[in-house]
Amino acid sequence: MRFPLGLSLLLAPALSLSAQSVSERVTSSDGLVQVIYPSRPTACGDGQSTISNVLGRSNYYSGNSEFSGHGRWFDRPCVHGPARAVATVVGREVTRLRVYVGPVPTASAETRSMTLTASEAATWLGDLASRGTGRVASDAMLPLILADIPDPWPLLLRIARDDNRPREVRRNALTWLANGVTDHLGIADSRDDSEDDEMRTQAVFVLSQRPRGESVPELIELARSAKHASARRSAIFWLGQTGDPRAADVFAELLR
Amino acid sequence: MRTLAWAAAAALVANQIAAQSLVSRVDAVRDGRVLMSFAARPGVCGDGRGSVWIQSSRITYASGDREFVCITGPVRVAIGRADKQTVSVRKWVGGRWSSDASDVDLGTVQASEAAHYLLGLAHALAGNSADDAVSAAVFADATDLSPDLTKLIRDDDASLETRKQALFWLGESDFPTADLVRLRESLKPFALREHYTFVLSQRHEDAAIDGLIEVARNDPDSEIRRRAMFWLGQTKEAKAINFLRDILTR
Repeated sequence: MRFPLGLSLLLAPALSLSAQSVSERVTSSDGLVQVIYPSRPTACGDGQSTISNVLGRSNYYSGNSEFSGHGRWFDRPCVHGPARAVATVVGREVTRLRVYVGPVPTASAETRSMTLTASEAATWLGDLASRGTGRVASDAMLPLILADIPDPWPLLLRIARDDNRPREVRRNALTWLANGVTDHLGIADSRDDSEDDEMRTQAVFVLSQRPRGESVPELIELARSAKHASARRSAIFWLGQTGDPRAADVFAELLR
Repeated sequence: MRTLAWAAAAALVANQIAAQSLVSRVDAVRDGRVLMSFAARPGVCGDGRGSVWIQSSRITYASGDREFVCITGPVRVAIGRADKQTVSVRKWVGGRWSSDASDVDLGTVQASEAAHYLLGLAHALAGNSADDAVSAAVFADATDLSPDLTKLIRDDDASLETRKQALFWLGESDFPTADLVRLRESLKPFALREHYTFVLSQRHEDAAIDGLIEVARNDPDSEIRRRAMFWLGQTKEAKAINFLRDILTR
């Protein structure tokens, strides 16, 4: 189900209240809080570190810095299950956020648990992404995208265009939007199957490294109409990496 | 024409005799340091302690401390000898020796003679010694070193780093771009071919762009083709950018 943008805006005050109440519950005491909520139907993971199939067949690693499983990380089991956002609360503020998908492991006695609907979780995470401090705001984007809600992109577009947000947060929003665009266009999984594709991907990268005045218009044109999917996917990715405000407009146009 | 050929041959023989002379003077030392100095080419200066600065029409090169008083020449070279073998080469530009009694100081030698000798030594050296031998040679106010550098680049027995350095300095010399483009055919190791794309990219000439496009199109290794494309993208040449755009529309 997709809410029209207008309806989303009308709901905004109520959603904000909901975010406030969830936020109050999460930050009511210091320590670890795990927030469990339904993940988008395609998403899977091992519940501890790896997450796959979020947008296309993309893979993410959200475990500790040391991989503790056996074998290669992409050989880990991929089981559909709830998303689990684990927040570290210090001084009644979320200072760190990690997310997992799949089987929920038994929580330690010190970890508080909350189970939310996807919509409640998305509202809280959207609030963190929109107003949180730099790192937490960026960390909230993947958990937000993982929530089984219709469309996180309008919120990420707002963040990407918000001059009051730190540059890094806006850039991260653009990176996720680029992933959303390639997924929306059905080219998220287009791979460099041939040497020609590899060369096209490299050509896009090389053009992206030109001075911004040249590279951004070139990337915009390629993002809109590149002949080959691998080149278009690459152009959308590098356009997101530029952090240029024009990228958000192009992404909004491509997400329609 | 015949007179010119004789003159060239005579110059070559004279160089060889002179080089032999330097070889024999160094080889006469069993253990210790052999010191020599020779004129630096215009635009080369240093602080006498290892930092070097070069300013020429083709290159601005700085090595070491960038905030130093730059003294024009000479190039000073210390060759370390152990058991009749050359085991090290160190170079400085400017400054004076603080030598001890055991050093053998050859004094000022002819720059060309020293440069050819040092490039000959570089074939069998590695690491800092090879670096210093090659760079001391190219800092010398010497006649054309491109045959020596080319020979070193093509020497499969020389260390790869030394060959790369020789390739770098050949690229920065007045060696014709067309010849540099032709050199590609004799470069076999990956590291050398990869370095070659950078060296060629530093020649901001049409022939070099054509050479890079040729590499980007036809090198058998896709990684080398990618490097060539990268350097093409760093140029300001419309021909290079159009080549990249063409790849996207083919």
